[in-house]
Amino acid sequence: MDYSIGPKPVEYPDDWLDIVTPDEPNPPAQVIRRRELKWLNMLSTWDHYMRRDFKTVRSRCRKGIPRSVRGRAWFYLCGATYLQKKSPTLFSDLLRQEGKQQCIEDIRKDVHRQFPLHEIFTEEGHGYVCFQEDLFRVLKAYSIYNADEGYCQAHAPIAATLLMHMPAEDAFWCLQAICDKYLKGYYSPGMSALKLDGDILFGLLKRVAPSVYKHLKKQKIEPVLYMTEWFLCAFTRTLPWSTVLRVWDMFLCEGVKVLFRVALVVLKYTLGRSEILKRCPTMYETLPMLKSLPNFVTHEQFLVFQIGRLDITDDQMRKEHLKQILKQKKLRQHELAQEKKKEAARATEDAKSRGAERFGNNRHADERTDVNNDIEQTEL
Amino acid sequence: MANQRGGGQSKEYDHLFKLLIIGDSGVGKSALLLRFADNVFSTNYITTIGVDFKIRTLVVDGEKVKLQIWDTAGQERFRTITSTYYRGTHGVIIVYDVTNGESFANVKRWLHEIEQNCDVVNKVLVGNKNDDPSRKVVLTTDAQRYADQMQIKLYETSAKDNINVEEMFMSITESVLHTKKQQQRPDSSSNIVQLPSHPGYKGTRNPKSKNKCC
Repeated sequence: MDYSIGPKPVEYPDDWLDIVTPDEPNPPAQVIRRRELKWLNMLSTWDHYMRRDFKTVRSRCRKGIPRSVRGRAWFYLCGATYLQKKSPTLFSDLLRQEGKQQCIEDIRKDVHRQFPLHEIFTEEGHGYVCFQEDLFRVLKAYSIYNADEGYCQAHAPIAATLLMHMPAEDAFWCLQAICDKYLKGYYSPGMSALKLDGDILFGLLKRVAPSVYKHLKKQKIEPVLYMTEWFLCAFTRTLPWSTVLRVWDMFLCEGVKVLFRVALVVLKYTLGRSEILKRCPTMYETLPMLKSLPNFVTHEQFLVFQIGRLDITDDQMRKEHLKQILKQKKLRQHELAQEKKKEAARATEDAKSRGAERFGNNRHADERTDVNNDIEQTEL
Repeated sequence: MANQRGGGQSKEYDHLFKLLIIGDSGVGKSALLLRFADNVFSTNYITTIGVDFKIRTLVVDGEKVKLQIWDTAGQERFRTITSTYYRGTHGVIIVYDVTNGESFANVKRWLHEIEQNCDVVNKVLVGNKNDDPSRKVVLTTDAQRYADQMQIKLYETSAKDNINVEEMFMSITESVLHTKKQQQRPDSSSNIVQLPSHPGYKGTRNPKSKNKCC
């Protein structure tokens, strides 16, 4: 990350690091094995757990899904398994179609521009090419499946993250679940859902970290300036990889509210101290802080712990959502009313000028004569 | 005063300008910025989603000019949120790819985009990836003719081989500085009431208003 932009990296006081959960960095092998067995058992009786014991599923996701079962767990968590059962041949059917030329070209341009530092991309040769080809197929299939929205560049990091854990067809089903259910409307041409969530995030920030809220508001930093990449890519490009995986374990289990929680923790702990805010007198110091987040904030254990500790309830989130929707509605009504007023004014003007055309020709001629007279007089 | 900001005891810069890089996806906007700000080129780029920016300070005629250069996503759907990025912009760099005719054809749409979001702003047209004559499809003469017609300066660059990048950024910076100095001349503004506003941003109808960053 480039720290040359904006202020120098801030040294955070030690007491901040004390609040990191004292959880062990790498659980011992026996613990991992025990978790794997629990997960395998859970996956074999998935419907039962989802219906009767969702709390257990949620708590296990919050602890982190063991690597060996993560791909399968994600596939089950997002409901991809049901989508696949509904239309088992869809993926291969879609791949047989040609797709829109523009979409296909855009995808081709992007498949080699994902996670260049990930190990899958540093491998030269066959594996690398296969991965790109799989990514192309997944993105192409989705762009044809959801022809109205087509391909959005932010689909690619999502699909790439999935492909690191599962085969192409499974990744397609998960991508469909994420784009159509979890982040519905984010990738559409108007991106209205993303903008709405930006406003909701900002509203929640007021409650969670009032000083940060005031600071951003004062500098007129709109949410889309910092949260676009966070939300559209579900933090895959923002956090260290081990943290991304933990966030996704929770995100696929509990939904978009996890992204809100991550964003709120990140905002609160990156900017939430008065000496840091003082070092950011304008948006040009503030935004780089949010671009290159301090390591301790994005650290897996700190972030996951703080997400749980965040003082915000689901109910408060729902209320903020409603509030912002109402606000948007009012704004739209206001705009419509303004538009109508303008239209009415235009109609009156039109009527006047039509009247003038029919009955006032001479008057115009008189005006012209007056102007000419004026000019002549001035010249004289 | 904007140019005193961040100064304290030692003045960090004399002028502060915001530049915006726009153009189709994949034409090399991020590569140009990285070459200019950090003097590096890599084949491992990631697509820009949303917005990114970097800072570099130049010295023009003995004056320190601090540039905040904003790099935007090229894909069409991101334009709905890009109006936010135009606010307070002093100069716009419109980039196309000389090996991709369509990206050149789309310059017109990008110019229209500027018109919709900005009032008075300096512009420069940039044909990037100009390092392999065998792949070049947008001829210099065609591009130059179009640039003349639009009254914009044209630069053909290569972020990869570091050709013309520095010159292009220098040129747009000089233009912006020139505009600012013209506006600050007392004879041109003494009779005008200055309203506090964001110049370059639509809604400010006074072209003489002082270019000051938001």
